[in-house]
Amino acid sequence: MYSERSILHFNVADFAVAVERVADSSLRRRPLIIAPLQAARAVVYDMSEEAFCSGVRKGMPLFQATRRCRRAQVLPPRIGLYQRAMGDFLGRVRRFSPLVEHGLADGHLFVDVTGTHRLFGPAPDIGWRVRREVRGDLGIDPIWTLSSNKLVAKVASRLVKPVGEYIVAPGEEQEFLAPLPVFLLPGITQGERRRFREFNILRIGQLAGLNRNELLVPFGRRSGYLYDASRGVDPSRVTNGVRRDACIVQEHHFGDDTNDSRRLKEAVARLAAQVALQLRRGGQEARRLVLRLTYSDGATVQRQLSRRIGSSSDFVLRDMALLVLQRAWRRRTRIRSCHLFCDRLHRRSTQQSLLQMLPQQSKDNEAGLLEAMDAIRDRFGQEVIGTGVDGTGGDRGRAQMSAG
Amino acid sequence: MTTVQRAEAMFSPPAVDGLTVGSRQCPLYIGTSGYSYTEWSDSGFYPAATRTADMLGEYTRYFPAVELNYTWYQMPRPEAVARMAAKAPEDFLFAAKLTRSLTHDIRDNWSQEVNQYRRGVAPLGSRLAAVLVQLPPDFRRSPANRCYLARLLDGLQGLPVAVEFRHVSWAVDPVFAELERRRVTLVSVDAPDLPELFPHMDIVTNPDFFYLRFHGRNRSGWSSSNMQKKFDYDYSETELRQRTEASIAALSSRADRGLVFFNNHVRAQAPRNARNLQNILKARQWTKQ
Repeated sequence: MYSERSILHFNVADFAVAVERVADSSLRRRPLIIAPLQAARAVVYDMSEEAFCSGVRKGMPLFQATRRCRRAQVLPPRIGLYQRAMGDFLGRVRRFSPLVEHGLADGHLFVDVTGTHRLFGPAPDIGWRVRREVRGDLGIDPIWTLSSNKLVAKVASRLVKPVGEYIVAPGEEQEFLAPLPVFLLPGITQGERRRFREFNILRIGQLAGLNRNELLVPFGRRSGYLYDASRGVDPSRVTNGVRRDACIVQEHHFGDDTNDSRRLKEAVARLAAQVALQLRRGGQEARRLVLRLTYSDGATVQRQLSRRIGSSSDFVLRDMALLVLQRAWRRRTRIRSCHLFCDRLHRRSTQQSLLQMLPQQSKDNEAGLLEAMDAIRDRFGQEVIGTGVDGTGGDRGRAQMSAG
Repeated sequence: MTTVQRAEAMFSPPAVDGLTVGSRQCPLYIGTSGYSYTEWSDSGFYPAATRTADMLGEYTRYFPAVELNYTWYQMPRPEAVARMAAKAPEDFLFAAKLTRSLTHDIRDNWSQEVNQYRRGVAPLGSRLAAVLVQLPPDFRRSPANRCYLARLLDGLQGLPVAVEFRHVSWAVDPVFAELERRRVTLVSVDAPDLPELFPHMDIVTNPDFFYLRFHGRNRSGWSSSNMQKKFDYDYSETELRQRTEASIAALSSRADRGLVFFNNHVRAQAPRNARNLQNILKARQWTKQ
C-alpha cells in the first residue's frame, strides 16, 4: 500500500554561534568565530553569518580567518554547552515523534512525523510549533522544512538558510528541485562538481533529464544515486538516534613540526580520550576510527580501523588510535598535525554481550575508572587526567595523572 | 486543459445560489479551511490512501472553493501556486491566508514580504476570491497595531482582503467604519463564546463579498495550542440551521458573494458539516421556489 511520509528537517544555522549568543547576548553585536585559542595552528570550528559573508569558513586556519574578518571576536568552543543545548532542542522535538535522527551538537535533525496527525495535527503545524517553542524557550531560531523524504527536506533547508521555512508538497519534489543549482544536492563530491561543469550541467533539472545509462558513463557507481536524487527520490528512513553519517573530529596541531614518537603518541592518545569523552557524554559508541596525519610538506596520510562492537572507552579507543598511527606513520618527514575522526556511531547499549570474554569484574572496574576520570575532567578540565602511553600501544594501560 | 480536467470542470459543484433577499442574489461558495489532511482519508472523506497530490482534484468534486492555509505557514511561491491552481476547475475559487510573518511573527522587512506575497498569489488571477488576514489573539487594538494594520492594508490594496480579528478590543464602530471606507471585509466567525475573543457579528463592511468562518465551538480546546483539540467540533444540523437563519440570510442580503469556510478539520468534520450546510441551503432555496 502506498504510504506517504512527512519528514521535518530542523536546522539551526551556525549552532555553536547561536548557543554562545544565547549565553551572552552582547556577542550579537559583532561577528563571531569559534576556534580553539590555545592551539598554535587552530582552525575555525564555527562562525557567525557575518563572518561567513566576510569569507570565513569552517576548517580554515584561524590566522587566515581573523585576517578575513578583522572585527570578529574569537571564542574557544564549549562542546559541553552545545551538547546540552542540543539535548534541550531534542527534548522538545521528541514530544512530537519518537523517530528523531540527529547530529551530535550541530543543531541539525530529521523528524519523521508520519501518522502523528491525529495527535498533533498537520505536519506544518508541528514544524511551526517546534520553532516557536525552541525560539521562545531556548532563544535559538531553527529553520524548518517539510517534505516526503530527507533529501528534499535537506535541500529545502539549504535554500532558506539562515532563517525561514519551506514546505515541499508530496508529488512536487521533482518540480521543486528542477530549477535549483546542482550543488545543492547533498553528498555531491568535488569530482562530481567538476564533471557537472564539464557537461555543462548547472541545474538539478538538467541532471534529471539524463537517463540511467547516460549517467552511468561519467558517474559510474554514483549514477544510481544521482538519478534518484535529481528526481527527489530518497527511500532512506529516519533512523532513531545519532545520524549514521555523524562524525566526531578532534585535532591536534604541533607547535613545531615533529617526528618525536613519544610526542606523537601522546597527542594521539589525548585525541582518543577527547573523542571517548564526547561519545560518553552523548551516550554513544563508535565502531570506526580514522587518523589523518598532515606532514610538514603538506602531504596527508589517512588510515582507519574498525571494530565489530562499538566502544566509548578511553582504553579501547586509545589502543585503536595507536594502532592506526603505526599504520599511517610511514615517512620520516616531520608531522604538522593529526586529526582523529570517529564515526559509525550508535547508541550505547547496556545489554551484556553473550560472547563477552572480558570478566565482568574487569569491565565494572573499567567503567568505574572512566566515570571517576570523567568526574575529575568535568571539575578540573580535560587535561588534568589521561591514560598512559606505554610505547607499544598494545597493552591495556592504567589511568595516570598527567604532568601537573 | 486535459480531458480529465475538462470532465472535472463539467462536474465541479457550482456555488450554492444562496439566498435571494429582495432583488439581491448572493451566490454562496462553501468549502473548508485547507484540503490536504491525511486524516480525511482515514475518516472516509477521501478514498483510502489518496495521495496528497490528488486531494485537491478529489476535493473539487464536492466544493466550489477552498481556503488555503499552507500560505500561512510559508510565503506562497508563484510556480507552486500555478501548479496547484491547474489541478482545479477554472471556476473554482481560492481564498489564501496571509503569511504568518505578516500577522503573527512580524519581521522587520514586512513590506517586502507583502510584495512577495502579492507575487506569490498572482497566478490565481480572478480565482483569488479573498486574502484572509487572520490576526492573532494578542493583537489588541493599540495605537501601534492600528498603525501596522493600516499600513498592511495599504500594502494589500487592490486585492480582495478580509480581516479576522481574534481580540474583542477591535469590536468597535470606528473599526467597522474604516474597513467599510477601505472596502475590506470583516470576517464573521462562529467560535466559542469566550470573553476575550472577537464576538460573532453579522456586519458587512464590503458589499463585494462577506466571509464567514466556522471554527467550531470547543470551549475547552480553544486555549490549547494543539489544533487537534482547538478545532475538534461537530456542528449539529440544528446549529447549522440556526446560523443560516440568523447570519447567512442577513449577510447575503448585503453582499454580492458569500464565502463560507469550515475550519473544524479534525476527523473530517469540516467537509461533513460543509456538505450539510450546502444541503440545508439548497433545500431552503428549493422551498422558496
